[in-house]
Amino acid sequence: MSDNTKFPGRRKVHRLPPPATLLPGLRAQAGPRPAEPAECIVLPLTTPLAETIMKARLKGAQTGRNLLKKKSDALTLRFRQILKKIIETKMLMGEVMREAAFSLAEAKFTGDDFSTTVIQNVNKAQVKIRAKKDNVAGVTLPVFEHYHEGTDGYELTGLARGGEQLAKLKRNYAKAVELLVELASLQTSFVTLDEAIKITNRRVNAIEHVIIPRIERTLAYIITELDEREREEFYRLKKIQEKKKILKEKCEKDLEQRRAAGEVMEPANLLAEEKDEDLLFE
Amino acid sequence: MLESADLHFNVDHGYLEGLVRGCKASLLTPQDYVNLVQCETLEDLKIHLQTTDYGNFLANETNPLTVSKIDTEMRKKLCREFDYFRNHSLEPLSTFLSYMTCSYMIDNVILLMNGALQKKSVKEILDKCHPLGSFTEMEAVNIAETTSDLFNAVLVETPLAPFFQDCMSENTLDELNVELLRNKLYKSYLESFYKFCKNHGDITAEVMCPILEFEADRRSFIITLNSFGTELSKDDRKTLYPTCGRLHPEGLRMLAQAEDFDQMKTVADHYGVYKPVFEAVGGSEGKTLEDVFYEHEVKMNVLAFNRQFHYGVFYAYIKLKEQEMRNIVWIAECISQRHRTKINSYIPIL
Repeated sequence: MSDNTKFPGRRKVHRLPPPATLLPGLRAQAGPRPAEPAECIVLPLTTPLAETIMKARLKGAQTGRNLLKKKSDALTLRFRQILKKIIETKMLMGEVMREAAFSLAEAKFTGDDFSTTVIQNVNKAQVKIRAKKDNVAGVTLPVFEHYHEGTDGYELTGLARGGEQLAKLKRNYAKAVELLVELASLQTSFVTLDEAIKITNRRVNAIEHVIIPRIERTLAYIITELDEREREEFYRLKKIQEKKKILKEKCEKDLEQRRAAGEVMEPANLLAEEKDEDLLFE
Repeated sequence: MLESADLHFNVDHGYLEGLVRGCKASLLTPQDYVNLVQCETLEDLKIHLQTTDYGNFLANETNPLTVSKIDTEMRKKLCREFDYFRNHSLEPLSTFLSYMTCSYMIDNVILLMNGALQKKSVKEILDKCHPLGSFTEMEAVNIAETTSDLFNAVLVETPLAPFFQDCMSENTLDELNVELLRNKLYKSYLESFYKFCKNHGDITAEVMCPILEFEADRRSFIITLNSFGTELSKDDRKTLYPTCGRLHPEGLRMLAQAEDFDQMKTVADHYGVYKPVFEAVGGSEGKTLEDVFYEHEVKMNVLAFNRQFHYGVFYAYIKLKEQEMRNIVWIAECISQRHRTKINSYIPIL
């Protein structure tokens, strides 16, 4: 609180910790601007208008917090679902890959070694992926979808030997590839959702533990200031009334004294029933 | 004349025949297979193989031991044995042995042509070629720019030249035709081999011709089976059937019209040899047609050793050795992938 002396009119508040930024746009009059916002001291306008504004802000912050909490809940729900699916798919993946590797061994057993032929003839991909977007509570998740393009260039491989095993092998590996694509989608969504959930939770916590208490404190401060001002007003009024009363009593005493001394002429009282000499007849 | 084989065979080929029979005696026995099936890891497999004729063929391998290493080493061993036979052979055994290498050469040539078309480097393709099918002009393949250059410059020296002439009518070489080319080459190779054995006469013809007939018929059946549902038209299919088998000409004609497996089965039912083969398909162990054909082939090859003074023993030995290699690789794969349910589906030889 070393800056107190620099700001004329700045109240020293002993009761409560000083609220930081209240009405944005109002800055301290002169002087250096401190770096951290916590120490940025702003002249509070403790008017009823400020109180209303603060109340509105509190309401806004609470609504915001509720909305964000709902978003976070929706994201978490989707996250859990994806997690479950990932676990299932990974288990299935293990099985399918095992099956596919074994069918490769089978094909090699019945047929000749076709691996070099296959590797030589690779040119274009047959299975391709399209990326689409899926929206969950405002978070866009990428989803991969595979599609086939082109014909099977290896239809006639193993024509003379092992063709049946090769067909089985192709099917198994095609299944494995499809599963891999699905798993890739799920994992990217997982990572994206994780990020999004972290951010949202951070915001919720920030609002709940920092912003709302700050606003509440400011509001409480304003209210106490207003109350105090009102009390002061009231006290002042009371004091003035007392003073007036004393003055009045003094005046009356004076008047009495002077009347007793016979110096004061009472003004004619229209309402008093006296005999009026000018009236001739009653 | 019948006695000429008995009298004169040993003069030229007796040493090699003895050698081959010795090698055949060192094929893995059923007991060996039982031991191998019970192994838990590939290291156990290696230890068990050391007690057989394979000996320390894996001794120089670094860790970790993989199935492909086992396969390569076994193949190298087989090649060493075969090269020994070939180097010590006289005519006409050497022609016979070079006929045997033709099938591997066909595969290598197709591989090299593909690689040359795709502008791959020769070295990496050479590594992948089958060593039994190597020929001297292999490195020169990538020099040829077009396919006709390839045929004229490179392949005219190899024993494959006459086979190419048979299918030289279409000079195109796209992916579909690579497989067709391969099968056409194999068809003319098989027919040529058959003719050679038949012209040689004697016991060789008696032993080899049934084996080659079976091979031809087997190819016809398998090509038919695998072409169901593909773009291969029936006419194209017909040109791929080797004609030196029992199915020619009636069976092949019927086979060319077949649309599914049952129709194929009816074709086979006409032939006494193939009827029980097709009956054995399916069954309790889910055997495929190819498994049954393999078993039949193995039986015929083992029977070839019952007669003496013919070249069929060499053919049979190489085929049996290859089957044994496939069995060992199968068992090794089952072990390494921990998928032991089908580990007993190897083809038993002896």
